[in-house]
Amino acid sequence: MIKLHNVSKSFSQFQAVCSVSLSIHKGEIHGIIGASGAGKSTLLRLMNLLESPDSGKVEINGQTLTSLPGKDLRQARKSIGMIFQHFNLVANKTVFENVMVSLKLANYPKNKRKGRVMECLQFVGLESFKDKYPAQLSGGQKQRVAIARALANSPQVLLCDEPTSSLDPNTTAEILSVLKDINRLGVTIVIVSHEMDVIKSICNRVTVMADGEVYDTVSIEPTGIGSAKNTPANFVEQLTKIGGTGHA
Amino acid sequence: MPEILIQYKTEIWQSIAETFAMVGVSILAAILVGLPVGTLLFLCRKGQVFENPYIFSIVNLLVNVIRSFPFLLLVVFLIPFTRLVIGTAIGTAAATVPLSIIAIAHYSRLVEQSLLDVPKGVMEAAVSMGASVREIIFKFLYVEARSGLVLGLTTSIISFISYSTIMGVVGGGGIGDFAIRYGYQQFKTDLMMYMILIMVILVQLIQFTGTTVSRMIDKR
Repeated sequence: MIKLHNVSKSFSQFQAVCSVSLSIHKGEIHGIIGASGAGKSTLLRLMNLLESPDSGKVEINGQTLTSLPGKDLRQARKSIGMIFQHFNLVANKTVFENVMVSLKLANYPKNKRKGRVMECLQFVGLESFKDKYPAQLSGGQKQRVAIARALANSPQVLLCDEPTSSLDPNTTAEILSVLKDINRLGVTIVIVSHEMDVIKSICNRVTVMADGEVYDTVSIEPTGIGSAKNTPANFVEQLTKIGGTGHA
Repeated sequence: MPEILIQYKTEIWQSIAETFAMVGVSILAAILVGLPVGTLLFLCRKGQVFENPYIFSIVNLLVNVIRSFPFLLLVVFLIPFTRLVIGTAIGTAAATVPLSIIAIAHYSRLVEQSLLDVPKGVMEAAVSMGASVREIIFKFLYVEARSGLVLGLTTSIISFISYSTIMGVVGGGGIGDFAIRYGYQQFKTDLMMYMILIMVILVQLIQFTGTTVSRMIDKR
C-alpha cells in the first residue's frame, strides 16, 4: 500500500531521515515509535510529501508520488487523509464547514455534500456539534472533527501524526477506538506516537526508529484499548502502588 | 448650529466630499492591490508555498522605499507619474494617485503581518488535503486571518485620512486643506477647531466600526 524506497530528508545539516525503506501493507494499522528527534514525524510527513524527500521514492497505492507533477500530487493527496497532534482545524469555520471544505477541495458532487458531512460527523459522534466553532470544543472533540474532515473523501490511507499526544487518557482511548472503527472500514492507518501504550493497543505492525533510521519492524498482537484510566480511584491506586514498590 | 458653520456650509460639505473621494479611492487601491501584494509578500517568505527569495526581496524593498518617503515628498516626487496617469497633477483626482500608492504599500505590510498570525498547521492541513495555492489563500488563509485583515484595514483607513489632509499642496482639497486655508490662514481658529472635531468624529466612527466588525467575525 505504502512503499518508501531509500528516502532521505535533512533540514540544514540535520539528517532527519536517513535512507529509509519501509513497506506498509493494505488494511493494517502500522505504528511508528521512537524517541524525540528519531525522525518518526518526518517519515510520516514524507508519505504524503508534506516534506519532499532529498532522495528516494515514495509510492502509495501503486502511484509514485515523488514523480507526480503538482496537479496530480494534489489529486493523490485527496485520497490520503491526515490528522495532526494540534488538530489544525480552521478556527473561523464551524465544525460543519471544517468537514465541508475537504469535500469542496475534492469537488465532491454538490448535492451530496451536506449528507456526506453529516454522515462523517455522525461517525465520530459529533452531529449535534455541527454549528459550534473549534474554540468551543474539547481537545478530543477537536480531534474527532479533524478525523471526520480526513475521512470525508473516503481516503484509503489515514496518516496520524501524534494524534493523541495532547489528549488525556480517557480521550486518547476514545480517539483510538474511532481509529479502530475506521480501520474496520478497510482504511490503512499509519500512527506516529511516542506513547508505547497507544502503539501497543491498536497496531498490527510497528516500526521502531532511532537516529533517522529504521531500527526494527515487528509484528505484534494489539492489546486492545484500555478502558478509562483517569478515574480518581484509579489515580489513587496507581499512586499507592508505585509508592509501595518504589522505595528501598 | 454655530454661525460660522452655516456661513461656510457649502465649502465644508465640498471639502468633506473631497476627503471621502480621496480616502475612498485609497481604500479601493488598498483592497484591490495592497491585499494581493501583501499576500504575495507572505507566500514568498521562507518556508511558505511560493517561497521565492528574489520576488520577496524586490517587493519587500519596494514597499519599504515607498513607506520611507516623507509623504509630502512622495507627492512631489510622483508629480510626473501623476501627470502621465491622470493628465494633470492638480486637483482631487490627481491627489488620489500618490494616496493610492502609499495606501498599497501601507496595507500590504499589514496584510503580510496578519497572515503571519495564521498557524502553520492550518496551512499544512490545507496542503495535506490537496488544496491548490488559490484554495489555500481563499479557503484557509483569508478565513483564518480575516479579523486581522479588517483591523489592519481600519488602521490603514485612518492613516489615509491623515495623509489626505496635506493634499492641499496639489490642490486636492479635503477637510484638512479647508481647515488650514480658512481656519488657520484666515485666523478663524473656531472654524479650524470645528474641522478638527469633524476629523475626530470620523476617526472614532471608523475605529469603532472596524473593531466591532473584527470582533464579530473572530471565532478563534
